[in-house]
Amino acid sequence: MSEGVHARAGHLIAQERVEGISPAERHWLDQHLQECERCAEQVRTTEEAVGALRAVSVPLPRSLASRAQMRVRLRVQELSEREPQRRALWLACGISWTLGIASAPYVWRAFEWIGHRTGVPKLIWEMGFGLWWTIPALVAAVVLLLENARQTDEGEWFKELS
Amino acid sequence: MSDDAKTVARGLQKRDPELLDRLIEQYQYRLFRYLVYLTASRERAEDFFQETWIRVLERGHQYDGKSKFEAWLFAIARHLVIDWQRQKKMQSLDALTDPEDGAPMEIADEEGPSPLRLALGREQKAKVQASLEQVPAIYREVLLLRFQEELKLEEIAKVLETPISTVKSRLYRGLESLKGVLQGGAA
Repeated sequence: MSEGVHARAGHLIAQERVEGISPAERHWLDQHLQECERCAEQVRTTEEAVGALRAVSVPLPRSLASRAQMRVRLRVQELSEREPQRRALWLACGISWTLGIASAPYVWRAFEWIGHRTGVPKLIWEMGFGLWWTIPALVAAVVLLLENARQTDEGEWFKELS
Repeated sequence: MSDDAKTVARGLQKRDPELLDRLIEQYQYRLFRYLVYLTASRERAEDFFQETWIRVLERGHQYDGKSKFEAWLFAIARHLVIDWQRQKKMQSLDALTDPEDGAPMEIADEEGPSPLRLALGREQKAKVQASLEQVPAIYREVLLLRFQEELKLEEIAKVLETPISTVKSRLYRGLESLKGVLQGGAA
């Protein structure tokens, strides 16, 4: 029997466990295994390897689940307490943007008037108008960043505590 | 999408504490075992276990129920471990564990038993323990996902975020490696 035949059998033995083989390949392999003790031994070794892997167990630490459950419940509580604040923030942003859109022509004229009165270059007061628009988004971003920073700190604190 | 996965997805969207309690209970062994295999340390695995569930709570809305919950859970756990390793200014998990690239993942104490051996428990047969320690972690991980977790190749690929062809090749090499060490050879 050529080495190529054994190599094919060896590949099929592994393939059967990894991704499966076709019925035709199964048939060929079965016939080969009946004739070849070397490849049959390879099947046994593979079975042993997979069996050994499946037999390994990891002892669970005491109260692993209950500690995780407690932490998760505390976090759920925290998040639910924070939810109304976040909703209020988005509501405030929404109102601010709506009023901003509604008042845009008047604010534009106001900036234009102030620009003319003070002699500020057009580009500067136009940029001022743009900044006026970004203020709600900036405030929201700062609040969210502060909140995230606080969450990280709390996470570290809890880790040290537990 | 199975009904169970749908229920889990809905519960996670609502941050249902009862559901989370049940999931923690149900998956505690599998998740902990996976983390032990990944980190080769019981203490670290315990920390990551807690963090994984916090992440599940916070990112629960991202689980759509189209894939198995455990695959999503393992992917979260894996990301946490990789992030931690990156924070520690170490190499990425793949680089750390790829036998061609360098040392295996566990930071073993040469004087005493390796972290994985301690992590797996003393009652295990010494031969199996010693064999598994010699299998590079990158292969150990796929072997666990395939033969202990019995995940499909596509699911493993999702967990590892690698192509199926890579998963297959790691499985073939992992099997060879395990067979080799069980027979007394090197991985």
